[in-house]
Amino acid sequence: MKFYTVEIEARRRLGAYTLLSYRWPGDGIEAGRFVMARAAGYPVTLDPFLARPFSFYDFEGGVASLLFEVRGRGTALLDRARETIEVTAPLGKGFEIDASTGRAALLGGGIGVAPLKILGRELASRGIDHDVFLGFLDAKTAAVADDFPGASVATMDGSAGTRGTVLDAAPDLLGYPAVYACGPNAMLAAVKGAAGQDGLRQLSVEERMGCGNGSCNGCVVPVDGGYVRSCVEGPVFRAEVLAW
Amino acid sequence: MVVRERATEVDLTVELCGMTLNTPLVPASGTLAKEALGEAEGVYGAILPKTTTPRARAGNPPPRVAETPAGMVNSIGLQNPGVERFMEDLDAFDLGVPIFVSVAGETVRDFADLCERVAGDDRVAAIELNLSCPNVEHGGLTFCAGPAAVEEVVGACRAAAPTKPLFAKLTHEGVVGNARAAEGAGADALTVMNTIPALTIDAKKRSILVRGGLSGPAVKPVALKAVYDVARTVEVPILGGGGVTSGVDVAEFMLAGATVVQVGTASFVRDPAEILAEFSDYLREAGTAAANLTGALE
Repeated sequence: MKFYTVEIEARRRLGAYTLLSYRWPGDGIEAGRFVMARAAGYPVTLDPFLARPFSFYDFEGGVASLLFEVRGRGTALLDRARETIEVTAPLGKGFEIDASTGRAALLGGGIGVAPLKILGRELASRGIDHDVFLGFLDAKTAAVADDFPGASVATMDGSAGTRGTVLDAAPDLLGYPAVYACGPNAMLAAVKGAAGQDGLRQLSVEERMGCGNGSCNGCVVPVDGGYVRSCVEGPVFRAEVLAW
Repeated sequence: MVVRERATEVDLTVELCGMTLNTPLVPASGTLAKEALGEAEGVYGAILPKTTTPRARAGNPPPRVAETPAGMVNSIGLQNPGVERFMEDLDAFDLGVPIFVSVAGETVRDFADLCERVAGDDRVAAIELNLSCPNVEHGGLTFCAGPAAVEEVVGACRAAAPTKPLFAKLTHEGVVGNARAAEGAGADALTVMNTIPALTIDAKKRSILVRGGLSGPAVKPVALKAVYDVARTVEVPILGGGGVTSGVDVAEFMLAGATVVQVGTASFVRDPAEILAEFSDYLREAGTAAANLTGALE
């Protein structure tokens, strides 16, 4: 896998999350696609060894941004990176946007809010009205919702917005011609159930990845008859394809 | 701007079982998907796709990978569409260099049938036997659990594919005895080594995260010793690998006795072309050709 050293443009704290942006002179950045990113790789470090997958949070004026939560060594080092980070070219299949759907619901759970910012921007540019529903554990993680004006928020502990899951903040999803969601598998399965089978229903999965280019078969999700790789066949799937 | 001078061209070619390979690098089985072939062009002397089996295998449920210090543990479960679909798709791996096909079965008969099927196709330059999978007829011990098991399966494959170059891929455990057995049963070359059995645990959930095979730079010294020991025991050439991450690593494996060097997990974190460029730089500085390195420890 080829990595590019890119300059950090800005870093912002959004509650419990970090928003890191970098200049990307190339193309290929679309809602739902992702990059493998790391603070540095060989020969600077062999530990952590693997890069981490991150959906694009936003892309404007040649500046791409990634949203992450510090959970281990890889994200801790990214959080502390000073001038540069290393990223791959944009990877994976993003969200399908169909202008004829007219109206969409966007649902994000925890760090799964990441691809909804750029998705909202792309939907707006195509004249598609959309409502945003975000679910978090607590007020600290929910602070990122300030970056989504007008979003309905839920927290599990009730410290911000409605108490409960993202679905407690979302009214009847069946009425939306398009539903987009990103978050943990349990949340996505619940959204799939609540959104029904009519219309465009797309889910962006969060899986551990080894390579990001289809080679290691590590990031699979279940479909009828087996497993498919979320890095090349996804990370965005039509809800009806996923076998959960 | 500094223009990097390409001084004298280095000779990267190596000979393996009657084939001339443009470079000594070969992808380790299961680490190069057809979607990633763009990075393989001009880098590898042969292509080695993921192991195929008699029937389609869905593979193991996730999680399948866990990162570890300087490496990763994987438990994929040989996910593949089965040999017939695999062979239909083989042209996708044609980069104008030889294609080696990795096979695995659950019984000796499986292995022999696969070898016969695959050897009959002119597009296949050689067959690698993935002997690390469980032998269901022997209580789930692997096909390289010991010399007798290795001899039986390699002998059956040799008979099923009498003229096609046959590589036996061995794990590090008991590798010297197994290498001798594989050579004795007719293997044309040996691949040393496979991943190392390993376990990762999620302490928070008090559960096993991934039980599988460890790969990456963490395993390199183990692999080097295995290659070195085998090279001093057998006459057949060795495809060495295990944690190869740089051009100097390639040189180290060749010095230990490998003729060809397999690059696996490193290709997830580096462009393999960089590894080949570093190896070329090593040869240029050393003033020698790739083919002269094998076993050339002083």
